[in-house]
Amino acid sequence: MNRILTTIRKSKEMNILLVLIVISIIISIFNGSFLTMGNLLDVVKSNIVLAIMSMGMLLVLLTGGIDVSIASVISAVTVVVGQFMVHVSSNIVLVFIVGVLAGSLMGLINGLLIAKLKIPPIVATLGTMSIIFGVVLYLTNGTWITGIPQNFIDFGRVTIGKFNVAGSDQPTGIPIQFLFLVLAAALTWFILKYTVIGRGIYAIGGNKESAERIGINSDNLTLFVYVYEGFLIGLAGVVHTSIMRQVDPNAFIGFELQVIAAVVLGGASVLGGYGSVFGTLVGVSLFCVINNGLILMHIPVYWQKIVVGVVLITSISVDVIQKRMQEKKNVRVDIDENIQRFARTSVSKEVKTQA
Amino acid sequence: MAQNMLLEMHHVSKTFPGVKALQDIQLEIQHGEIHALIGENGAGKSTLIKILSGVYQPDEGAEIFIDGELQKDITPLGSLKHGIAVIYQDFSLFPNLTVAENIAMVSRIGRKTKIINWKETHNIAKNALAKLELELPLGTTLSELSVAKQQLVAIARAFVNDVKLIVMDEPTSALSRGEVESLFSIIRNLKERGISILFISHKLDELFAISDRFTILRDGKYIGTFGEEELDDDRLISLMVGRRIEYKIFDKRTLNDPLFEVHNLNKAGNFKDISFTLNRGEILGITGLVGAGRSELAQAIFGLSPSDTGEILLDGEPLHIESPEQSVAHGISYIPENRLTEGLVLKKSMTDNICLTVLNKISNNRGLIGKEAQHELVDTWIHDLNIKPNLPNMIASKLSGGNQQRIVLSKWLATEPKILIVDEPTNGIDIGAKADIHQLLRDLSEQGMSIIVISSELPEILAIADRVLVMRRGRIAATLDGKNLTQEEIMKEAL
Repeated sequence: MNRILTTIRKSKEMNILLVLIVISIIISIFNGSFLTMGNLLDVVKSNIVLAIMSMGMLLVLLTGGIDVSIASVISAVTVVVGQFMVHVSSNIVLVFIVGVLAGSLMGLINGLLIAKLKIPPIVATLGTMSIIFGVVLYLTNGTWITGIPQNFIDFGRVTIGKFNVAGSDQPTGIPIQFLFLVLAAALTWFILKYTVIGRGIYAIGGNKESAERIGINSDNLTLFVYVYEGFLIGLAGVVHTSIMRQVDPNAFIGFELQVIAAVVLGGASVLGGYGSVFGTLVGVSLFCVINNGLILMHIPVYWQKIVVGVVLITSISVDVIQKRMQEKKNVRVDIDENIQRFARTSVSKEVKTQA
Repeated sequence: MAQNMLLEMHHVSKTFPGVKALQDIQLEIQHGEIHALIGENGAGKSTLIKILSGVYQPDEGAEIFIDGELQKDITPLGSLKHGIAVIYQDFSLFPNLTVAENIAMVSRIGRKTKIINWKETHNIAKNALAKLELELPLGTTLSELSVAKQQLVAIARAFVNDVKLIVMDEPTSALSRGEVESLFSIIRNLKERGISILFISHKLDELFAISDRFTILRDGKYIGTFGEEELDDDRLISLMVGRRIEYKIFDKRTLNDPLFEVHNLNKAGNFKDISFTLNRGEILGITGLVGAGRSELAQAIFGLSPSDTGEILLDGEPLHIESPEQSVAHGISYIPENRLTEGLVLKKSMTDNICLTVLNKISNNRGLIGKEAQHELVDTWIHDLNIKPNLPNMIASKLSGGNQQRIVLSKWLATEPKILIVDEPTNGIDIGAKADIHQLLRDLSEQGMSIIVISSELPEILAIADRVLVMRRGRIAATLDGKNLTQEEIMKEAL
C-alpha cells in the first residue's frame, strides 16, 4: 500500500500534468475559443500575479507553514506603489525597489512572529492580514488610485515578439510581465534545488527535530521563507499594477485561498516537506484552466469559489489520510517474537581464545 | 590507560527547573570499545546523551575531554566535528529526501559554500557507504526503505565526518533478529577499526552479546562502570534498581473472586497473547519498561484503540468493547497519565470540579443543571472520600494536594465504575501526595472496587499491588504475587 502511495506521490506532478491535458481537451471540445492563442495569452496574463505569489506560498508550505495574509500584503504593496508613483517618482527601477521592499518588510513581520515568537503561522498571518487590510482601508478609504504616470503604463504594455491572433486585428505578443514570472520561477527553482537554504527548507519540512539536531537553524530558515515570500509578493504587486494601470485596494479580497489552492493542487503538502516549482506551475496552470473553462462555458462565477474550496479540502484530505495511514503502520511496541537470546561477549571471547 | 581514553566526562550534572536530572555523572569510553549505558526509565541516559551531542548544556563544573582535550560549550555541530555521531531511536532522518541527501546533509552544515553540488552529494554518500561496505539505492526517497535500511542510512551518515564515537540509542528496537545480527556484525567491524560505540538498550542479552564494558545510572546518579565479565543478569539488575524511596507497604491480599478476565488479547504492533484475571476488590499492578505495551493494553481494554483478537469477560459474560462509551457503560473507568495531578480546574469550586464528568446525570430534562442533584452528589463524595474541609464552594486551588487529588478522583468515580484503571497515578508529585493516593486506592479496593494500577515506579507497585503483571516487549513476562516481592524480582522479568 505504502509503495503505491509513494509511487503516486512520486509521479504526482505527472498525474496533475495529465489531468491538465485532459481537462484542456474537454474544455476545447465544449468551446472552440479555448485553445486559441488569444484566449491562452489572456489566461497567462491574468494569472501571472497568482503564479508569482504561488512560488512564495510553495516555500511556506514546504516548511509546514501557511500564510493567509498574502492578499492583504499585495493590496498594501499596490497601494504603496501607486501612491509612490503618483506622488514621488515613476522611475521603473525605483518603483520595483519600493514594491519589493514593502512586500519583504511585511514578510519580515510575519516571519518574526512565526520564527521568533513561535506563534502558529495560521494565527500570526490571520492577525497580520486583519491589521494590514485595516491600515490599507484607513489610508485609502477604499477608493481607487488612478492617474498612474504614462511611462509606467507604457512599460506595462511592452510585449515580446509579435504575432497575429485570430479574432483580433492587431498583432500581439508575450506580455513583459511574463518575464517576471519566469524570473521568479527560475530563482525559486534555483534556491530550492541548488542552495543550502533550499535543501534546509525541505529538511525542516520533512523532520524539523532532525534538522535541528544536525545543526540546521530552522528559525532563520523560516524567517527567510516569509521574507522571500514577501519579496515575491512585492514583485507581484508591481506587476499587477502594470497590468491593471490603477490600484483597487479591494481587488485581492479572498485571493489567498486561490493561491493556496493552486499550490496544493500542484502537489505541495500542507504538512510540509513535499512540493516543487514544476508541480506548482502545473498546479497553477490547472487551476487557471479550470477557472477559464468555467467562464467560457458560461458557468456562474460563484462556482469558482466552490471549486477553490473543493480543491483545497480534497488535496489536504489526501495528505492527511496518507500521513495517518503511515502513522498507523508504525509499530508502537517492539513485540518479542523470538525467545532465543544472544550469546555473551565473554562466551564468544572464550571461543576465540580456544580457537 | 588514561591516554587511551577517547571520551572522558566527569562531574556532569544537569538541573531542569525543579528536577535534578543528572548528579555528578562520569563516563569514560576507550578507543575501539563497545560501551553499554544502562539504567531504568528516567535514570538519565537520554539527558547524558543530549549533553554529549550538544543538545543540552551541562551545569557548571562539568569536565568533558575528547582525546584528552578539555571541551567547552559542546554544540550539536561541534560534537559532530569532534567525531561524535548520535543515532537516535527515531534515526533523525528526512523521509522526504533521497538516501544520498540524507547521508550528505551533515556535510553541508557550517560550510562556506552555500551552493549545492549534486555530484559531490552523491560522492559523499557513496564514500560513506563504502566505508561501511554497504550498498543502498542513493536516489531512492528514504520513506520507501525498510526500517532496517533506514537505520543503515543513519549509521552511514556518521561516516561522512571522521567519526570516532557512535552513540546508538535503542538501535535494535525495530529490527528483526536477522537484522540485529547484521547490525552487530557491522558494529564489531567498526570496533576492529578503532571506532568506539556507546550502546543504549534494555535488552540484556543483546547488551551482554556486544558490550565490553557497562556504565550504570540510577535516578540520575552514577552507580559504576564494570567490565562485561564482572556482571551477570542478577548483578546488573540489582545495580540498576534499588530506589530508596520508602512507601507504606500495604498488606497483600489473596483473592479468588474473578470479576474481569482477559484471554489471549492481541493487537498488531502493540501487544501479544495477553491473558490475566482481575479479582473483585483487588489492586493489580502492571509494570514494565516504557514501551513494553502497558498503556497500549489499558487503552485497548478501555476501547480507545480496540484489540485485534481475544476475549474479555466481565462477571463471566463476554464483553465486546469498541469505544470508551461502551466501557464506561459497563463500569470500566480509565484515568490516563497525569490526569490525577493535572485534571483539576483550579479556579473553580469543589462542586464544579466534581460534577464535570456527570453533567448529564445531574441535569434536568431541559438540559439545565439541577442544584439539588448537584449538592447531593457533592455531599456524597465529600463524605465517601473524606475530603476536608467540608466546604463544597471552596475554590479548588486552596485545598491541600491530597484533597485536590481526591476531588479529581471523585470526578472519575462519579461515573460509578466497578473497575478503575489508573495509568501512572502519581507521576511527578511529591511523596506525601503519592502516599495519599496510595491510601485512597487501597480504600476504594476495600470498598469492593477492582483497580488496575499501571506504573513504572517499582516502589509504588510494591507498596500497593496485590499481584503484579510484568510486561516485556508486548507480552506478559510474569505474574507475580505481591507478598514479599522485591524490585530485583520485577526488573529481572521486565528486562
